[in-house]
Amino acid sequence: MNGEQILEMEKIYLNVVPSTANKTGEWRLLTPTRKEKISPCRQGCPLGGEIPAWLNAIKRNNWAEAWEIMQRKNPFPAITGQVCFHPCTAECNRRNLDEAINIPAMERALGLWRLQNCRPAAPPRRVEGKIAVVGSGPAGLSCAYYLNRAGYRVTVIERAPVAGGLLALGIPSYRLPREILQQELQLLQEEGVQFVLNCSVGRDMEISRLYDDYDQVFLATGAALSRMPSLPGVKLNGVWSALDFLQQVNLGRTLEIQNPVAVVGGGNAAIDAARSAMRIKGIDRVTVLYRRTKEEMPADPEEVAAAAAEGVQFVFNVTPRELKGEQGRLVEAILNRSHTSGEKLIIDRDTELRIYCKTLIFAVGQERDWSVFGTLHREIRLCAGGDLISGPAAVPQAIQAGRIAAEALAAQLEGKPGPDPSPPESGAVTFEELHLAAWPGLAARGRQEDPSAEAERCLGCGTCNSCGICYLFCPDVAVTPDQGRYLFDLNFCKGCGICARECPARALMMEGGW
Amino acid sequence: MNSKINFIQPEYLHSGHYACPGCGAALAVRYLARALGPDLVVVITASCWSIIAGMPPLSALKCPILHCPFPSAGAVGSGLRRGLDLRGKHSTTVLVLAGDGGTFDIGLQALSGAAQRNENFIFVCYDNEAYMNTGIQTSSATPFGAHTTTAPYPLFKKGAKKDIMHIMAAHGIPYAATATVAFPGDLEQKFRRARQIEGFRFIHILSPCPPGWGADSADTVELSRLAVETGFFPLMEIFEGGAPVLTYRPEKRVPLEQYLKLQRRFRPLELQQIETLQQGVDEEWERLLKAAGPV
Repeated sequence: MNGEQILEMEKIYLNVVPSTANKTGEWRLLTPTRKEKISPCRQGCPLGGEIPAWLNAIKRNNWAEAWEIMQRKNPFPAITGQVCFHPCTAECNRRNLDEAINIPAMERALGLWRLQNCRPAAPPRRVEGKIAVVGSGPAGLSCAYYLNRAGYRVTVIERAPVAGGLLALGIPSYRLPREILQQELQLLQEEGVQFVLNCSVGRDMEISRLYDDYDQVFLATGAALSRMPSLPGVKLNGVWSALDFLQQVNLGRTLEIQNPVAVVGGGNAAIDAARSAMRIKGIDRVTVLYRRTKEEMPADPEEVAAAAAEGVQFVFNVTPRELKGEQGRLVEAILNRSHTSGEKLIIDRDTELRIYCKTLIFAVGQERDWSVFGTLHREIRLCAGGDLISGPAAVPQAIQAGRIAAEALAAQLEGKPGPDPSPPESGAVTFEELHLAAWPGLAARGRQEDPSAEAERCLGCGTCNSCGICYLFCPDVAVTPDQGRYLFDLNFCKGCGICARECPARALMMEGGW
Repeated sequence: MNSKINFIQPEYLHSGHYACPGCGAALAVRYLARALGPDLVVVITASCWSIIAGMPPLSALKCPILHCPFPSAGAVGSGLRRGLDLRGKHSTTVLVLAGDGGTFDIGLQALSGAAQRNENFIFVCYDNEAYMNTGIQTSSATPFGAHTTTAPYPLFKKGAKKDIMHIMAAHGIPYAATATVAFPGDLEQKFRRARQIEGFRFIHILSPCPPGWGADSADTVELSRLAVETGFFPLMEIFEGGAPVLTYRPEKRVPLEQYLKLQRRFRPLELQQIETLQQGVDEEWERLLKAAGPV
């Protein structure tokens, strides 16, 4: 073959037409479809947050999209990233490979991104309807956020001199830095939510007036009353309720409390009180007294460990019987031994322990405050949520209640049927169901500092996590990468089903027809 | 278990080719073209790929294709290489693409000749274990126990699969390797390595064929994976006809039955025959481990 003939061959080659002229998608009988299944983190999340979906957006470095997904269920990730106890990480399937995804850190990172990068934006359109939200705790703020976004005029009424409710007055600042709360509140204000402070509905203002002035009212006054046991000596100086104590600390007041401090209770409020007391100047002896065992403590184990690391002492299986004082001031508490038997608490009245303490904080439960209804004597259509309805719960539960209330109120104003409270989905994708054998280069790798690198560790578990396996194994090159995502080109997809079979996250299915 | 792979690379296989849904051979050529890059000419002998590549002017590959008669793949590859060398195009890779028929049976003499002369090109056998394009006739690559249209039920392929790697290694060629589509990272790495080597290079790719094997088209990659995990198709490299180097050792080999039961061509096999097959695989695996030596 001489050179000219080879040149001739090249000319032929130059005239070829790509086979893309041939639309092989017409052969298809089954079509790959994204079918999300629930992941263990989503199932664990009190807010039902679409965790794998926003992690996937962070993995692709698309923070705006991540925020858009996040705020559908949780408008305050900067806050929940700090205060939520994160049941999501407990069941993370990645634990079986190396270590659970650091969802709290990712949530905080996304929350901070939002505070730094999202300029306050007025709602796209304003609609008719004024709404009053009573209580500026997490439930009230979340309801205000969603209604304001929907275009309603929202006024939040708070009895305390500061907004935030439990977030401002209950949760210690070492767990929730106040700048974060302030920034969230400021964003809400700049986006159009009105705040009225120092106004106690039921005392300063009749609740029925709200129903005259506003189209809808949401009550979220929480469970802000401390329960105090009826023991001899609870009126002594130096005896506190946890909520009062935390409120004073959080308002920045100087407290006259003295060493040593005892905290009665085993919940998160008890640990908050103990750790807050430890931080007061001059206080270095703090003991938590709990009536049951350490294992039975309802407080978050991480918080308990942190308290212990800070020097807080724990005494288990004790119940206070009597508080003794001198000149009206507490000096010691007398305790009985107690233990659990079945469901019941058995108190052994014969044992007697004495603990020397000048301050004693009761964190033995909170109660709902009905004072908001005042002397109400007319029929109203009540919409309430958060701790006021559920009794004492946690911040994410309250945020969830606020969102549902916002949907319900908006539906009422628009005359539509309210949201359908669908039961939580069950049957999260298990580790065994994942098809990790298909994932080239997947290896055990612990937590990463960089958010994108950490998000990359997410296995998806029922949600597309843009791993690209569908692209890699497509014999027809009919999966197109698009800015880190993968799209199906149905012009060429022959419907072989390899992508669905190989999808490590189990987020794909083959469906009949085109 | 699977070497790291850069997913997003330039693709040299066009969509719209004529392969059946779930074709392992299409996938194999997609990967090898990604690894070899644009400076490539492909010789295709009579095989499924004669069809898949498309009828002119349509072409499924972004590189020149030369179709050639069935027994001549080795010879055409040799000629094309020399022609390109004459024109000074030394950097262009010549790739000969043949099915198992064009390698194990009809193309064996030209292949053997080219290997013996140590011609400077890459010979790829994409092995779907029968003459699939013409209607699933038995080839010498068909494994024992498989049904084909020339060995219909109750008949089945009686002899064992020809050990082509042994044959090629005996030629003492610089590089011979096995690869399969479930391990694209491994496959691409072998082609990149082959490109660096001068002389005759032979790569044997197991490519599952859904219609020919009686398998679900979605199972192509799974079958390919199981073939390796069971030890039925070990992934290896042989340099200069020396000892085989295993590129992947399954931690624990999966029973062969799992591989067989996904394929209707093996379905009427009796328990005893399955055991015979398993025994054969076990023996071959032991022999291979012995030859490969410790890791």
